[in-house]
Amino acid sequence: MNSMNSIIDQIQRLNLKIVHKGAILVLVPLVFELIFICVLTGLVQGAEQEIKQQVRSKAIISQSNTLSKSIYDAGVALVGYSVTKSALFDERFNKVVKQIPEDLDELRSIVGENPRQQDVVENIKKITMNGVEMLNQTKSAIDSNRVDIAHFRARHMYKEMRNIADNLQEELKQLTETERKIERESPEKQSRSRTILLVFIFGGVITNIVIALLLLWFFARSVKDRLDVLTDNSYRLAQSQPLNPLVGGNDEISHLDSVFHSMAEALTEATRKERAVIDNAVDVICSIDTDGKFVAVNPACFENWGYTQMEIVGKRFIELIAPQDIGETIKAVRAIRAQEGDLQFENRVRRKDGSETTVSWSAYWSEKEKAMFCVAHDISIRKTAEEAVKASESRIRSIMNHMIVGLVIVDSSGRIESMNPQAEKIFGFTTAELEGRHVLCLFADSKFYSEAKIQDTDTFWQTLSDQAANKIKEYEGLTKRGEEFPIEVLLSELNTHEGARFIVNVVDVSERKEVERLKKEFVATVSHELRTPLTSIRGSLTLLSVGALGALPEQAQKVVSIAERNTLRLIGLINDILDIEKLESGKLDMVFVNTGLQDILDRSEQSVQAFAQADNISIDIKPSQAIVYADADRIVQVLVNLLSNAIKFSPPGASVEVITEETFGFVTVKVVDKGRGVPEAFKKLLFQRFQQVEASDSKKKGGTGLGLAICKGIVEQHGGHIGVDSEEGKGSTFWFKIPAMHTDSTLVVNVQEAEAGSGASS
Amino acid sequence: MRALIIDDEEDTREIAKMSLSILGGFEVIDADSGKQGIALAEANKPDVILLDMMMPFMDGPATLEALHDNDATRDIPVIFLTAKAMTSEIEKLRRMGARGVLTKPFDPTTLALQVQEILKGSN
Repeated sequence: MNSMNSIIDQIQRLNLKIVHKGAILVLVPLVFELIFICVLTGLVQGAEQEIKQQVRSKAIISQSNTLSKSIYDAGVALVGYSVTKSALFDERFNKVVKQIPEDLDELRSIVGENPRQQDVVENIKKITMNGVEMLNQTKSAIDSNRVDIAHFRARHMYKEMRNIADNLQEELKQLTETERKIERESPEKQSRSRTILLVFIFGGVITNIVIALLLLWFFARSVKDRLDVLTDNSYRLAQSQPLNPLVGGNDEISHLDSVFHSMAEALTEATRKERAVIDNAVDVICSIDTDGKFVAVNPACFENWGYTQMEIVGKRFIELIAPQDIGETIKAVRAIRAQEGDLQFENRVRRKDGSETTVSWSAYWSEKEKAMFCVAHDISIRKTAEEAVKASESRIRSIMNHMIVGLVIVDSSGRIESMNPQAEKIFGFTTAELEGRHVLCLFADSKFYSEAKIQDTDTFWQTLSDQAANKIKEYEGLTKRGEEFPIEVLLSELNTHEGARFIVNVVDVSERKEVERLKKEFVATVSHELRTPLTSIRGSLTLLSVGALGALPEQAQKVVSIAERNTLRLIGLINDILDIEKLESGKLDMVFVNTGLQDILDRSEQSVQAFAQADNISIDIKPSQAIVYADADRIVQVLVNLLSNAIKFSPPGASVEVITEETFGFVTVKVVDKGRGVPEAFKKLLFQRFQQVEASDSKKKGGTGLGLAICKGIVEQHGGHIGVDSEEGKGSTFWFKIPAMHTDSTLVVNVQEAEAGSGASS
Repeated sequence: MRALIIDDEEDTREIAKMSLSILGGFEVIDADSGKQGIALAEANKPDVILLDMMMPFMDGPATLEALHDNDATRDIPVIFLTAKAMTSEIEKLRRMGARGVLTKPFDPTTLALQVQEILKGSN
């Protein structure tokens, strides 16, 4: 058996495929059968040959005997004839003689191809034919009655015949001896052949059975046993048991087994991963049976609800639900079981510590498993976030509702979506009345443009977007009652998840406009009301001081001069305050024209000449060919101011220089003094209102502290800059930069003035 | 040179009169309202009228209009005296037909000179 096993092992090492094994199973017996049949056929043929041999031997013997008898008969017949001359013997003789060649041919044909026997037959033939010849001669002698010859012949013949007969007997003996031996031995040989045949048949059948059994055993070993392993593996896989080791070989079964192992590994891996996912899931994953008890749960239950897996399994699901949600939860579970599908519901779960958390359940009822599979996602954070969003929305809504600015929310084409109470108040509409309407209806422009025409609304919206996006712009609003009123509008874009929206910020500026109007009126009044008496005072004092009304006593002259100087100072202060006020409200009207800078320089010099001489300061103005685009009077005002400052702060006998430079479309005018300079820290403050380097300057040097602020306002309104370069103790350079000649010649700041200008020039 | 001052403020009128007559050698007449001024202008045919901007009932511009509407006074040059020193307003007054604008408070020592320069410039 061991040797069989080793053979099988060796066969298995050949890595035969099942188809090959099948072929072996069929071919081996088949080949054996073929060999068996061939051998059997050979044996049967041998036996037949033996029988044929025996028959032939018998025939040869028989024929030899026949021939011997024929010759004997012929001799007997001749003897008879010679004695009787009977026709009966004659006939008999002729018949026998005639028969002898036929018997020879017969013998020859029986002997067949056997060469030795053929030689014997040839000898027999010769002898026989000699004998026949001799008999015929004797017959002829008898016939011719030549008794002497006949006797002679008879004597001679007898001797001859005896020789011939002896020779023939000898030859026939020789011929039949072998045959007799064959005949004698043949039954024995035949019996042996039959025995061999029987033994062979019996042995062949036995061998065949053995081979068949062996092949069956081999097939069972190499196919069925291994298939059994595979079958066992499938059961093991189903029961999650470890699989049998790989079956050997390189056939279909081993491939199948290998694939099965791989599949099992993949399944195990997938299961492991699935397990890992479930075990590491943040959400609670569980199954609940028909009694509503937990069957299985993942470890997340501890993190989420404070229960361990052990504590939860076997516990009733409903016990974990917050009492106030039990009713709804039961309804939801019933619905899930009824529809046999997915369903989601929310409820509050009571944790082990008694606290509650909001959970969103996704549950599935499996009729097959008779269980409900659930994923419980904690949404308390989301809930909190949602509440926070709600709170935030409510806060924003509240802020919007209490804003003093009117807010109108419009879509990207300007259609009103909502508005706050302040906007409702400003325009006198309710939100409901305006929803879906175009924002154009809130503007006085709607008197000229139709809200119904898409072209009009688009044009208006485009203009509004261009003008008021992120900057405040004034418009005329329109109330529900059709009243126009001034509004300030600022458009800001709002990116929402629903797309772009715009907030139209609206402020009703009617009151402010009214205040501005009153202020303007007040300024006009003040300026008039102050200037009127000042005109009289200044006039009176000047007339007195110049001696127009006669010379005054010295003391009186002195007092009048003081009064006059302070009146002028008061006038200056009033002028400055008015200028500042106008600058700040943008009401300091200016007319910009191309002007020769030299004219401005000359006029400024004239204005400060007397003052400079009084302080013993020389003014050195470098001539300039530059043309500036400016309001000449205002630039003179700036330059006079800078020169006055320079003179005021220059030491006696010093000079003040005025230099002009032209660069990149701008003209810079520099006033250079050798005064005390401006401390670094003060440079920025210098151009603000009521700022003087030293508090006592206004008393000692005069001036209101408004001059530089006014200069800055004027220069900036020209689109220029003003500044100071200074080193303390070494003097200062105050400079301003204004646009050079404008190619478009005269331009004015607004339409009203343009009209005024054109009227004046005509 | 004969000048007519129209101003509702008596003190201003007085200073201007003194300034023009004493320092400028003008012959000066004066009126305290537009209406009176027009009448005086018609009657006396002054060489120049100094007209105050802000006056009750009939203000400077109205008076100017009336003077221009009147054949007798149409050609008399009118110089405004104003406490409103806005450039745009000055331009507006010029457009209305004013020959010049002088701001208050004026310098009494140069008033006559300024009037003469304006008249010269316009010629």
